[in-house]
Amino acid sequence: MFPTPIQRTSAPSRIGYQVFLPVAMIIWLLPLIAIFMTSVRGLKDINSGNIFGWPTEFKLIENYIAVFEASPALMYLMNSFYITIPTVIVAVSLACLAGYGLSIYRFRLALPLFFLFVAGNFVPFQILMVPVRDFSVRTGLYDTIQGQVLFHAAFQTGFCTLFMRNFIKALPQELIEAARVEGVSELKIFWYVVIPLMRPAIAALAVLIFTFVWNDFFWATVLTQGETAKPITAGVRALNGQFVANWHLVSAASLLAAVPPVAMFFLMQRHFIAGLTLGAVK
Amino acid sequence: MASLTIQGVSKSYGDVEVMHDIDLDIADGEFVVFVGPSGCGKSTLLRMIAGLEDISGGTVAIGDQVVNEVAPAKRGVAMVFQTYALYPHMNVYKNMAFGLRQAKMPEDEIDKRVRGAAEVLHITDYLDRTPRALSGGQRQRVAIGRAIVREPEVFLFDEPLSNLDAALRVQTRLEIARLHERLGSTMIYVTHDQVEAMTLADKIVVLRDGRIEQVGSPIELYERPRNAFVAQFIGSPKMNFFEASTLSENAATALGITIDESAIVGIRPEHLRVCAEGQEAIRAKLELVEHLGEHVLVHMIADDGTEFITKMEKPPQTARGDYIAYSADPSLVHQFDKASGQRR
Repeated sequence: MFPTPIQRTSAPSRIGYQVFLPVAMIIWLLPLIAIFMTSVRGLKDINSGNIFGWPTEFKLIENYIAVFEASPALMYLMNSFYITIPTVIVAVSLACLAGYGLSIYRFRLALPLFFLFVAGNFVPFQILMVPVRDFSVRTGLYDTIQGQVLFHAAFQTGFCTLFMRNFIKALPQELIEAARVEGVSELKIFWYVVIPLMRPAIAALAVLIFTFVWNDFFWATVLTQGETAKPITAGVRALNGQFVANWHLVSAASLLAAVPPVAMFFLMQRHFIAGLTLGAVK
Repeated sequence: MASLTIQGVSKSYGDVEVMHDIDLDIADGEFVVFVGPSGCGKSTLLRMIAGLEDISGGTVAIGDQVVNEVAPAKRGVAMVFQTYALYPHMNVYKNMAFGLRQAKMPEDEIDKRVRGAAEVLHITDYLDRTPRALSGGQRQRVAIGRAIVREPEVFLFDEPLSNLDAALRVQTRLEIARLHERLGSTMIYVTHDQVEAMTLADKIVVLRDGRIEQVGSPIELYERPRNAFVAQFIGSPKMNFFEASTLSENAATALGITIDESAIVGIRPEHLRVCAEGQEAIRAKLELVEHLGEHVLVHMIADDGTEFITKMEKPPQTARGDYIAYSADPSLVHQFDKASGQRR
């Protein structure tokens, strides 16, 4: 068997493996560990310069509770959900439809249209900062959750469509033709034949877009001003007061903010099934 | 049940015409096989009948109705794909019932039809399985079952056996033949395998480069191929062709034909027989003997380099490189025009 299972290799390479794997993992996780360690320290440690040493006091529960008491963190978290979930739904469903249209139907504009979607991904969105902000102010979408959903969805749909179009293109076309001959309408083919086969793609894309949008700091900063529409990424700053820096609370809030994307991944994991179309053809 | 009339059908992709002026009549209940080398347009023609490809010119009529602009589903056809095209997320039962459910057929009628078809095809035990848990042959039968339950007027098969192994192919071929006998529906079957064509067809349509070369019963095509292409395409191993210069001096007498330079003489491997020296139509050196059990294929090479094959019951008692003399029954000798390929 290749590669040889590690249990059956020679002793030196086995020991090397057992030593270096944990080391590599610790290096990999170092930033996360540092943030976690900061999030359980007291303010005293940080002020006295004990940033990387062993904490003098453990304030795990106190700090994490303080996050919710010292700032509207719960509201920020909810805002993040209100922004992210609709964006994922809108972007992925639009992409499914557009991808289906672009990959299945032969029409003159199919390819130029597809390239338009692809090209959209190459525009660095930072250069759109000022026009988008002006536009959102003029349309009354500035500092609203709807506004952020709309702009996120608009920016993500291009990439999603590229992803979906290529995925559907790789599905066996005979399945669609077979359904057509059987008299199934185009929309029902999409719903009953194509969507079930796209499950892995939808799951992958949903996780990806969820993470993108949840972790977004840029648009959250550009498109919001007050507290009411801020997502958690932009909101954690509020924990640092004007005069005091509460890095232990910022760390705790950051870790809390990282939980939903991770949860999302595990939630969607069972849908990542390779070879879903196995048995369809040949 | 329906007949099918194809009149002046052509197909173009952009400026390139790939099918040219196809005329074909298919009678009600007939089993028609489209056969030809790859790229000859046989699948395209089938897909035009199914409605999966636009028809660029001419008309296709099923029964009395011209169906050029009719959606695939409304044509009363069912199609079996080479790749089976089973819905992988549905079990066998749902695969067969899907089209009927979409057509809003009553559930008990669907059940009756699906179970009926499953019985015929011996897949009753697999109704709950998904396609991935089936073997190739079982999948193919599900695909056929999915066509049967719709009770179509015309069955369309697009190379349904080419993904099966040899033994299964023979068995499934037989099942399709039985199915045709049982249902009596019109069936159109595409294949590149001339054995399938010969065994299944009432009528074979030989296509090449988007044109029909010949239409006829299997035996007609075998015995009286209209041109050199059909002659070589039908029959295995293919027909041997000889130039006049290759043949012996007394070939005209031996074969009972007049030989001139502008003609090619065609003799099938199974029709060449060993004869006494001096009476032969052709004399050549033994090159190779292939043993196939029931018969042997003897590869010969004439002095001018022309190679040909003969099919014999027993291997010749001749050493490699020695000469053998052959002749053939005059009634089994074909002649084609060298320039046009047409039969003389």
